[in-house]
Amino acid sequence: MATPAAQVLKTTLAAEPGTRVGGALVSVENALLAIVFTAAVMLPLLEIALRGLFDTGIEGVSTLVRHLTLAVGMLGAAVAAREQRLLTLAVTPLLAGKHAGLARLVSSSIAAAISILLAVAALEFVAIEREAGNTLVHTLPVWVAQIPLPLGFGLIALRLVWHAADSRGAQIAAAILTLAAFLLLQHLLTSPQPATGPVLMVIGVSLLLGAPIFAVIGGAALFLLAGSGVPPAAFAVNHYGLVINPSLPAIPMFTLAGYLLAESQAPKRLIVLFHALFGRLRGGAALVTVLACTFFTSFTGASGVTILALGGLAMPLLLGSGYQQRPALGLVTAAGLPGVLLIPALPLILYAIVARVSLEEMFLGGLLPAALMLTIVAAWGVARQQRREPEEDRPEFDWSHVRTAFDSAKWELSLPVVAVLALASGLATPVEAAAVTAFYAFVITTLIHRDLGIIRDLPRVVAECGLMIGGILLILGVALSLTNYLVDAQIPDALIAWVTQTIEHRWTFLLALNILLLAAGCIMDIYTAIVVLVPLLVPLGHAFGISPVHMGIIFLANLELGYLTPPVGMNLFFA
Amino acid sequence: KIASIAPSGSLYHRVLQEIGEAYRNSQGPRARAIVYANSLQGTEADTVRRMRVGQLDGSMLSIVGLSQIDPSVAALQFMPMMFRSWDEVDHVREQLRPELEAKLAAKGFVVLMWGEAGWVQFFTKEPITRPEEFKRTRIWAWDGHPAQVNIMKTMGFRPVALPIADILPALETGLIDTVPVAPLWSLVGQFDRVTRYMLPINWVPIVGATVFTKRRFDALAPHVQEAVMTTARAGAEKLRAHRAVQDEESIRAMRTRGLTVQTMTPEIEQAWREVASQAWPRLRGTMVPTDTFDKVRASLEAYRARTD
Ligand code: NA
Ligand code: NA
Repeated sequence: MATPAAQVLKTTLAAEPGTRVGGALVSVENALLAIVFTAAVMLPLLEIALRGLFDTGIEGVSTLVRHLTLAVGMLGAAVAAREQRLLTLAVTPLLAGKHAGLARLVSSSIAAAISILLAVAALEFVAIEREAGNTLVHTLPVWVAQIPLPLGFGLIALRLVWHAADSRGAQIAAAILTLAAFLLLQHLLTSPQPATGPVLMVIGVSLLLGAPIFAVIGGAALFLLAGSGVPPAAFAVNHYGLVINPSLPAIPMFTLAGYLLAESQAPKRLIVLFHALFGRLRGGAALVTVLACTFFTSFTGASGVTILALGGLAMPLLLGSGYQQRPALGLVTAAGLPGVLLIPALPLILYAIVARVSLEEMFLGGLLPAALMLTIVAAWGVARQQRREPEEDRPEFDWSHVRTAFDSAKWELSLPVVAVLALASGLATPVEAAAVTAFYAFVITTLIHRDLGIIRDLPRVVAECGLMIGGILLILGVALSLTNYLVDAQIPDALIAWVTQTIEHRWTFLLALNILLLAAGCIMDIYTAIVVLVPLLVPLGHAFGISPVHMGIIFLANLELGYLTPPVGMNLFFA
Repeated sequence: KIASIAPSGSLYHRVLQEIGEAYRNSQGPRARAIVYANSLQGTEADTVRRMRVGQLDGSMLSIVGLSQIDPSVAALQFMPMMFRSWDEVDHVREQLRPELEAKLAAKGFVVLMWGEAGWVQFFTKEPITRPEEFKRTRIWAWDGHPAQVNIMKTMGFRPVALPIADILPALETGLIDTVPVAPLWSLVGQFDRVTRYMLPINWVPIVGATVFTKRRFDALAPHVQEAVMTTARAGAEKLRAHRAVQDEESIRAMRTRGLTVQTMTPEIEQAWREVASQAWPRLRGTMVPTDTFDKVRASLEAYRARTD
């Protein structure tokens, strides 16, 4: 009898991102990214060990790890540009049609020109810091640790020009256009009247033509700051400010844990276990899907990765127990939703960082809403079952099955326990807890289960994770300049005055906020939305008596919902 | 444009606003002066970088920020129990001032005024007083100063280097259980919610200065420079008059929230003095340049010989 569980066991992993081999440079770049990333994970572990065993430690370890994270971010962003996976707007209305090629060439050239501007600003900053002569740790000069900034922006600019067109001739045209745009913008930027208005319009158009978001935010911030007399090098000071945040390295580390799990056989083991537990119940397949997806999303933070890892396993399970194609697809897509509110989900940590809330507070604040959402999504899933399968078709509840499945999945299941214990016990800082989690995921997937080969798979998975993190940290970095401009121009204060005048009631504000966030979730990814909107909306929420933690829950839930909703429904593309 | 990490509305903020006002009044009606309080322009190290690239013109810094410009200033703040009173701090600072200001000027910064912000005291979870007891606890150390962490370790303490923002959560989870900070910080950061005991030890003074980039200062007309400097001097006097009161006020406020201030017996103080003086040779030549260190010692000895 072909029970769903048997089908699951037969199904192989759907997620296998193609490894591209494109010359020595690509391998060197990937290897470098993997090495820096690994070093960032290993240093905190070494520190914990030294502290525990010998009451000693590594000099300036947290400073070092934060700078390594910056390097991971810039290198990852350069790789993302190489693979044409820099984040863009989800809707690029002007890109369609027969002029698509032209739109791509123009938007890429403008983005490349801005990227060169940013590289030049960063280079200027590094030169100034070099002259100042501060040391980071021991004898390592600070300026050396800042080199990834100009290097990263430079590499991104080159890749943007390269990918601006397919033919050699058009690429040369893009290079010329980029150079001309750079010279013009550089001239404007250093002149007393930087023509901020017209430049912002051009940048806005390039966004609609499909330019990467980082270039749009970075270019806008550069010219807005220049308009109020702030020199371009200040942009790099802001971006470098990423390293000040103590929680920043937690982002790549927790995400790496999720990527390792997603690439291993962990999804299968979890599905088998949940199926052994709940398969007997009516709508059990839905419950299994929701639990497994939530578990995974809390690690990967991205529903897309969850869907890639679990979609291929959950779909046959759902179809086999009386679900139609569309509701099943919808369920797989929405099933990870509650996981976004659970630590260590990347959106949750990113929100905590941008809103300056402690990770622990965000974690506790997210528990109850996550449980509520889990109940709603599961109930909705159970209700969507079209044809009720007769009871005898459902698998018998069998303790020995449960025991076997549990035995096989116990390591994965203990991962969140390890993460939370490390955080709450006082044995580790948040970053150390993240490093422990990543290392534990490494041990599970490569040493215990041997799903991943250390040589065969690890560099690829680490580089893939670095690419994704790089795209997000790049936007976070450039957005710091935008925030710096907003603070400089005292815009949050003005916004609070205007909104509190227009909207009187807290409930009206909450309604407006929900609509705004749903809309934002429709046109941009959740990370960009957090980075751009949080600095504006958290002070507003404060004015209406809404705490940053409460605000965070509203934020994440709405953005994720908007993310799932048509017209764009980015998550749906993955399914 | 001047920045500060001090809370907006605090005396520090007001002093900076007065300097801005003096600039505006002497420069002319079209001049603008903006004071960013509350860390709006980032940490102290951040504001130093912003001054270097030309985004900010000035910043009010403690030794933590100043030592990013020149390490010799560390002599005023990083040597535990070296100073026994504000008078001693004032005396040594006045002695070193020409040299320190020359060093800062060589790095492109003009000192508008020097100022202090209270003494660092030990805040603990348990009612402990002796050095041996402290060696069993986990002590918070400033994240930006690896050398300081190393020295604490060689002295037998267990420092945990964390950014300031992590202190409260780390206290709550037990990652640290002792925090050496000035009372105002403990009050504002609400550390006393977890650390219910304070040992009044006067470990080190918090010393600082308001600096201006030399580039911008030299570009000002002489009468504007004069007006700014006069106001800054008056501001320094206000801070000086306030520094002792501020510690008392902060401690009083925390006592009403339940803080217990422990008694420092001469015997305990002596035990701490021995521990602290063991650290001095380790600081010399690492955190504090050798020549500055020797000058501080000589200056203090001369001062004590005169006043005793
Ligand atoms: Na930036
Ligand atoms: Na997501």
